[in-house]
Amino acid sequence: MGRLQRFFIPTTAMLAGITGIGCGLVLGNWKWLAVGVACLLVGAISVSLRRLRGRRPESAPVDHKPKPLKRASDDDPDALVAQMLAQGRYALLLRPQVAHDLEQHQFEASLEVLQTKMALVPDGTVILGDTEEPALGITANDGEWQMRRRAVRVSPYFLDRYPVTNREFYEFVAAGGYEQITYWDTAIWPAVLDFVDQTQQPGPRFWSDGYCAPGQENHPVIGVCWYEAAAYARWAGKRLPTDAEWVKAGVWPVHLSDTQSSQRRYPWGDSMDRVKANLWGSGPGSTVAVGEYEDGVSVGGIYQLIGNVWEWTRSDYAPGYFPPEEFISESPLKSVRGGAFDTYFDNQAACQFQSGDVQMARRRNIGFRCALSVSDLSLYREAAPEELTEEVPEEVNV
Amino acid sequence: MTKGVILPLESARLVEYAVPIGCYICDGQNNFDAEYCRYCSAPMALAHQADKAKTPPTMVAAMGVSGVGKTVYLGMLMDMLSRGSGNTRLLARGAFSINLQQATVGALARCGFPGKTPNEPDHWNWVHCQVRAAGMRNPLDLIMPDMAGEALLEEMDHPHSFRVISSFLQKCSGSLILVDAVKLLEGGQEQEFFTMKLTSYLGELGGRHGNDWSKRPVGIVFTKADRNEECLADPEGFAKSHAMGLWEQCRERFRYHKFFAAGVAGACAWRDTFDEGRVQVPLRIEPHGIIEPFEWLLGHLPKFKR
Repeated sequence: MGRLQRFFIPTTAMLAGITGIGCGLVLGNWKWLAVGVACLLVGAISVSLRRLRGRRPESAPVDHKPKPLKRASDDDPDALVAQMLAQGRYALLLRPQVAHDLEQHQFEASLEVLQTKMALVPDGTVILGDTEEPALGITANDGEWQMRRRAVRVSPYFLDRYPVTNREFYEFVAAGGYEQITYWDTAIWPAVLDFVDQTQQPGPRFWSDGYCAPGQENHPVIGVCWYEAAAYARWAGKRLPTDAEWVKAGVWPVHLSDTQSSQRRYPWGDSMDRVKANLWGSGPGSTVAVGEYEDGVSVGGIYQLIGNVWEWTRSDYAPGYFPPEEFISESPLKSVRGGAFDTYFDNQAACQFQSGDVQMARRRNIGFRCALSVSDLSLYREAAPEELTEEVPEEVNV
Repeated sequence: MTKGVILPLESARLVEYAVPIGCYICDGQNNFDAEYCRYCSAPMALAHQADKAKTPPTMVAAMGVSGVGKTVYLGMLMDMLSRGSGNTRLLARGAFSINLQQATVGALARCGFPGKTPNEPDHWNWVHCQVRAAGMRNPLDLIMPDMAGEALLEEMDHPHSFRVISSFLQKCSGSLILVDAVKLLEGGQEQEFFTMKLTSYLGELGGRHGNDWSKRPVGIVFTKADRNEECLADPEGFAKSHAMGLWEQCRERFRYHKFFAAGVAGACAWRDTFDEGRVQVPLRIEPHGIIEPFEWLLGHLPKFKR
C-alpha cells in the first residue's frame, strides 16, 4: 500500500493528466482539457506531499529512561512503604527497628518481596580452596595446597537471586545515591565525583545520559567499582557477600558425616556445561539479561552465579595458586567470583576460583549481587495480645 | 651348506640420504635426517611437510620487543582458532606445532604466563598449521614462529647475526607487530623506538620479485590493552596520541597497515619468587581482540584474497 501511494498514484495521475491535456488540445474539447489539468494537479500535489514528508525531521529518539519515583510523604506510611518496595529497599523495612512499627499487611508485603528477590542459604561450613584433585601443577601431598584449603563457618543469610540490574541501580542513582555521602566509605569521598558515565553524569561507567543503553535494563549493572557496589548495597539496606558466603551459595555443601562433606564444583553439578552459563564461546560475547540461563540455577534458586559478570565480594583477594607472602599488588585487591561472559577457561569459571581486581576498577565484566544476614532481619512477628486471648480454648479458662 | 638370507634393500634410503634437502626458511642444504637446519636452526620438519604439500606454505611473522606478549598472543590465537568458535579454523600440522599452544594455555590456566622464549632459534616454537576461513575454497598452509624479542633486536642492530630471522622475514608474506600498550601509557618510549627500528629494518629488507615490505600487510597490535579502555575502543587514536612517530612511520612505509588492540589477562598482579624474581601473574584470562588482527592479515595475504 505504501509503495502504491508513493509511486503508482502520482505517476498514473500525471500520465493521465498529460494525456488528458494532449487530447483536449488536439480535439479542442475543453472537458478533456479540464480532466487532464485536474489529473496533473493531483499528481503534482502527491509528489509535493511526498517530498514534504521526506523533509519532515525524524521523530525524536524515544527516551527509554524511566522517570524516578516520586518521593512519598512521610505522613503517608503506606505510600512510603510502597515506594521503598518499588525501589528494592525492602530489607530496610524488615530491620527489627522498623519492622515492629509496620502494619501487618506492610510487613507481609515486605516479606513476600524478600522471598521473591532473595534466596535463603542455610548456615553451615564451607570448604574454600580446591576440593577436587589438585590440578594445575600442585601435587596432592603438597602442604601448601592442603594449607590453603580452609573450612569456614557461615551463618544463615539471604543472597540476591539475580545480580543487581541496570534498572535497579538506576533507582539508587535517581534517589541521589551518588550525592549522599553517608552511603560511601570515607576513604573514597574525594573520588565519588569521578564516578561518572560517558556523558559525565553520576552513574556506572558505560551508561550514557544517566541511564543504560536501550534494551539493557535487565542486564547486570557493569562499570561499577567496589565502592559503588558497596554504596548501593548500603542504600538498599544490604551488604556485599563475603567470599565464603558466595562460595557456599554455589557449591551448596552437604555434610554427610563429621569428616565427610560433598561440595559441587559448579552450581548445577560437578562438570562444566557451557550451555548453562554465559561464558566465552557459549554466549553472545556480552552480558545477557539476569533471568537467562535458567538451567544453570543453583540448588537454592540463585541465577547466574557462574558466567555473565564477575561479582564483587566484600573480602580481600588472596591468591590461591601460590603462597600469599609471595603476592605483590600495587593497590589492595578485592575478591571477585563467578566468571563472566568473556571467561576463557573452565577452571576459572568454577565456584572455587577466585580472581581479584583493584577496588576502583570499573570493568565491563564486573557486577555484583547483595547479601543480607538473617540475624539482621525481623522475619517473625508476635501476634497481638487480643488475638492470643481469642485463640485460648474455653476448657482451659474453666 | 649355505642358507638363503633375505636382506632389505636400503639403497632407497641411501639415495634419500645422499640427496640434500633444502631448508624451507633459508634454503640451506641439509642431510635428509637433520632435525634442525645447520645454517639457521629452523626445524627441518617444515621442509619435509612443505615437500608433501600441494602448495608451498605461506609465512607470517609476529614480532615485538621482549616481554610484549608474542608467545601469549600466538598461543592463545592457536587455541582460540582450534576451538573453532569463529569464522576461521585452524588445524595444527605436526606434533611440534602444538607445543606453543600447550605451553601457553597450560600456563595461563594456572594463572601464570609462559616462560620467556630463549634466544637460541633451535629452542623456538614453530607453528605449521592449516587455516580455513568461511567462504574459502582451499585451506591455506601457514608457518608462524615464536621468535625471541632479544634475538630480533640483535638482528636489527647487527644484520645477519640471526640468519633465520633475515631469511624468514624476506620470505614472509605479512606480519603482526606487537606493541605493549601499558608501557606506552606509562610514557616509556622504548616500545615505540623498537617498533620504529623494526619498521625501518623491514623497509630496508626488500623481497622477491619486487614484493618489498611496503606492499605486504602489517598489523600493529597493542597488547595488554585490556587495562586501557581508550586503547581497546580506538587503537588508531591511541597510536596517534601515544606513539605519533610509529603512526607516522607506518603511514609512510606500509601501504596495507592497520592498528589493533588485544588483551588476554583481565587483571594482573606480581609474584615475588625465590628463583625467578618478580614475575607478573594474570588473575584471570579474558581474551579480547586476538583473532581480529589475524583475520585482517589473512584477508590481505595475496594467496588468501577471496
